[in-house]
Amino acid sequence: MSLVIETKDLSRVFVSYEKPEGLLESLRGFWDRKHIEKTALAPTTLQIESGQIIGLVGANGAGKTTLLKLLSGLIHPSSGTASVLGFQPWERKSAFLKRISILLGQKNQLWWDLAPNDSFALLAEIYDLDRKTALMRVQELAELLECKHVLQTQLRRLSLGERMKMEIIGSLLHSPEILFLDEPTIGLDIVAQTSIRKFLGEYVREKGPTVILTSHYMDDIAKLADRLLLISKGQFVYDGTVQGFVAKTESLQKITFSLIEPLPENLQLMDGLELSATQQEFSVEVSSKDLAPILGKITRLPGIHNLKFEEADFEDIIHRFLEKESRVLSPGGHH
Amino acid sequence: MCTALIELTLWIAIFASSTSTSIGGFTREYYLAYVLWVAFIGRISSSWMYEFRMIEEVESGSINGLLVRPMSFFEYYLSQLMGYKFVTSIFSLMIPLAVIYWMDLPTDFSKVPIALALVVYYLIMVHCLSFIVSTFAFSLTRVHSFTVAKNLALWLLSGELIPLDLIPEPFKSVLLKLPFCNAVYMPVAYMTGRIPRDVFMQGFLSTTLGILFFGAIGWWLWRRGLTKYVGTGA
Repeated sequence: MSLVIETKDLSRVFVSYEKPEGLLESLRGFWDRKHIEKTALAPTTLQIESGQIIGLVGANGAGKTTLLKLLSGLIHPSSGTASVLGFQPWERKSAFLKRISILLGQKNQLWWDLAPNDSFALLAEIYDLDRKTALMRVQELAELLECKHVLQTQLRRLSLGERMKMEIIGSLLHSPEILFLDEPTIGLDIVAQTSIRKFLGEYVREKGPTVILTSHYMDDIAKLADRLLLISKGQFVYDGTVQGFVAKTESLQKITFSLIEPLPENLQLMDGLELSATQQEFSVEVSSKDLAPILGKITRLPGIHNLKFEEADFEDIIHRFLEKESRVLSPGGHH
Repeated sequence: MCTALIELTLWIAIFASSTSTSIGGFTREYYLAYVLWVAFIGRISSSWMYEFRMIEEVESGSINGLLVRPMSFFEYYLSQLMGYKFVTSIFSLMIPLAVIYWMDLPTDFSKVPIALALVVYYLIMVHCLSFIVSTFAFSLTRVHSFTVAKNLALWLLSGELIPLDLIPEPFKSVLLKLPFCNAVYMPVAYMTGRIPRDVFMQGFLSTTLGILFFGAIGWWLWRRGLTKYVGTGA
């Protein structure tokens, strides 16, 4: 397989400035500004092969969207180089833009006042597509997404889920070789999420584009991605398969239970794990090696009921891992 | 329309209180024709709405949807501006034509098409100016105030307030050499017989120079703005 995305020490630092309160301070800001630099993406070297589906995961502000914006040419880097399909993305050459697509789940990219069909006709012109072929493709995609009935309704009148489906059709109309999906299921209900996830799964299996997907829903990543990139504070902290990640990380057990009466005082189960006297419902995650002694302490609590323990799911493992990495990467931490 | 009525009344009052039948070599009818045409041409050759939209696109980050597509932000909005002006001009042209014909005011109707051609050509330069203002939104907020200041300056420089031939030298010569007079003064003065053809034709040359000059500045600011752009809001 050939490399379609390659970066070397690619980074982006955002510069803003402090704006103290009041008119006088605002005026002073014209000649005396205190600039603040925030590294959204630390120097990153990355290689992605054709046809891979990358799950890019991180907390808010970790640098996921910044990386997508850099690779799609929306923003310029502060340093480093990148090659996407052989192009430098931020030059925004037409030949490059015709071969990629970016879907920003939090932004409308279709025309708000037009019916989707009209937007797609306009996109067909923009991408130099044959009108008939484009129309057939719209019908085909709309059928798969089960949304043919809304193609002629003004975008502003559609529900969030329907709008997202329209955005997906718009972004796939020109059959992009690389697809950047930034939170495609954000804010959607479970039914819409499942439907879009299923569609994307089928689409990438059939057409084989290279996909970089960011999502807060780990189900999206676990079901679609064949390579996982974890990012924290602008740095990659894991690069490998989803299965490899689960195997590598410490196996976690989730224990849930209730108490009939609250505890008389806080109870320490182990270092860093305490049961609060104000609660009656508890959910704690412990590593497998600590499971037996902790469970022993819990079962001795008076009035315990509904005790369950199960293996923590992928989402819990990721959150715990990112939380740990975030602490390590904090100022004063070492990595 | 209100401005036109006020100006018409003003010129009628000026001539009524004057002992002379002409001002600057032109009679009252020439000024009335000038004011009527200015009301129409001045609306066509200015741009507020699309400039505001362009600024809004940059400020809100909705420009992302355009930047990731193989299309030009400049051309996208130029085509919208031209389409809008085309439709509104056809309808609003009826009014000055009818009034001038009815009042029998001096206008050479055979000159109207070429005068309008200059206005349409000038619109490209107007769009270059809008493009420049919108690029400020990459680094500043609330740049709409620049639009207001710019349009006020153009209002004075274009001859929309008073015919430029009434302005004393050397300001008159300077203003006639700048491209801004092609917005209003040149086309209206040509149609109403205030300037000869060779002076009018120079308007195309100065507009071309204006397009090249402001286009180059806009292109440079756009490139610079994109390097600073943070892809707002996504």
